[in-house]
Amino acid sequence: MENLELDTTQVKKMLGKHKAKMKFYLGMCAHCSLCAESCFLFNSHDNDPKYMPSYKFINSLGTLYKKKGRIKQETVEEIKANIWERCALCTRCYCPFGIDIPSMIALARSIMRSQGVYPQYDEEKAHPLAE
Amino acid sequence: MQILNFLTPDILYDLARGPFVWASFVVFIAGCLIRTIRILSLTKKWEPTWNIPKPDKKDLSKIKKCPLARIKLSVFGTSPVTMVISVVFHLLIFVIPLFLLGHNILLQEETGISLFSFSQGATNVLTLIFLFCALFFFLRRILLARMRAISTCYDYIIFFIAIAPFLTGILAFYQPFNNYQTMIILHMLSGELMLIAIPFTKIFHMVFFFMGRFMLVGQHTLGRGTRTW
Ligand code: SF4
Ligand code: SF4
Repeated sequence: MENLELDTTQVKKMLGKHKAKMKFYLGMCAHCSLCAESCFLFNSHDNDPKYMPSYKFINSLGTLYKKKGRIKQETVEEIKANIWERCALCTRCYCPFGIDIPSMIALARSIMRSQGVYPQYDEEKAHPLAE
Repeated sequence: MQILNFLTPDILYDLARGPFVWASFVVFIAGCLIRTIRILSLTKKWEPTWNIPKPDKKDLSKIKKCPLARIKLSVFGTSPVTMVISVVFHLLIFVIPLFLLGHNILLQEETGISLFSFSQGATNVLTLIFLFCALFFFLRRILLARMRAISTCYDYIIFFIAIAPFLTGILAFYQPFNNYQTMIILHMLSGELMLIAIPFTKIFHMVFFFMGRFMLVGQHTLGRGTRTW
């Protein structure tokens, strides 16, 4: 993928629209990992922590809020992997606190899609099965 | 540092026992109220836009008959040990300070009212159980790869803020280092720090848990839920 500059103004605008709810969820997550087993992808990838729902939203939406959209290319790739390759957005993840995990991953997807970052199926390694 | 010279242990003791306690209670209660009101103002009343059929009575009785099956599907089924320890930890974090003899004597002195108290021996056992649960969480955080993957310094700080009052409390009681006054001052200060930290940190999940699971409508709401973001 070619180097891509994110339009931080637009990213910030999209982040700002949902800031109160999302920052609240990010702040309330106790980093307890109890949501892990509720994700079928976590279970089917040898319990790899990178497939844990909380890992995925912390390292996508969480990063976007923390860095206010100013992120490096490798972070863009990491976010892309977390929200597309490692999540099917099946909405089955379960957090005992009621944190709405799918809504966080969905917002990260919308933001990244607005920046032209989304899975392209002709791209090498776009899917783990293509490796 | 000279400015701090007046802070002799006796003065610090009096401050921690008096004004600091009231100040931290005010911050704790006001902070929790403000944050709760903020969530209420950020959410609106939810009316289902479609008709949710009332569950079949027969189905309900089936669920009631096999609560075990429901529990197995929850985090109690996937992480039973962690969950049992977590429930004990969270119950004790309220029970120990509320029903501690020493706290109730102070409360009686200050306000004329007091709650039921456990004997000192019982409280000591409960505190040791609490610290054992805390040790379990600590080991879980440093040993499990999945916990390390999402743990930050902040998690450890919050953890120590939460257990410090208990640790210093038990050390003040048993006095293994013969330093009752230092420990009791640290105990009071750490308890006050915890109270102040509750509304402003992750510990606010103490309140948010009930809002997140019972009030906000979502995939896993317990009951119907009444509000949405
Ligand atoms: S999302 Fe919920 S279950 Fe998962 S780590 Fe955060 S608090 Fe724990
Ligand atoms: S929405 Fe994503 S994170 Fe949640 S269970 Fe499905 S695949 Fe896992």
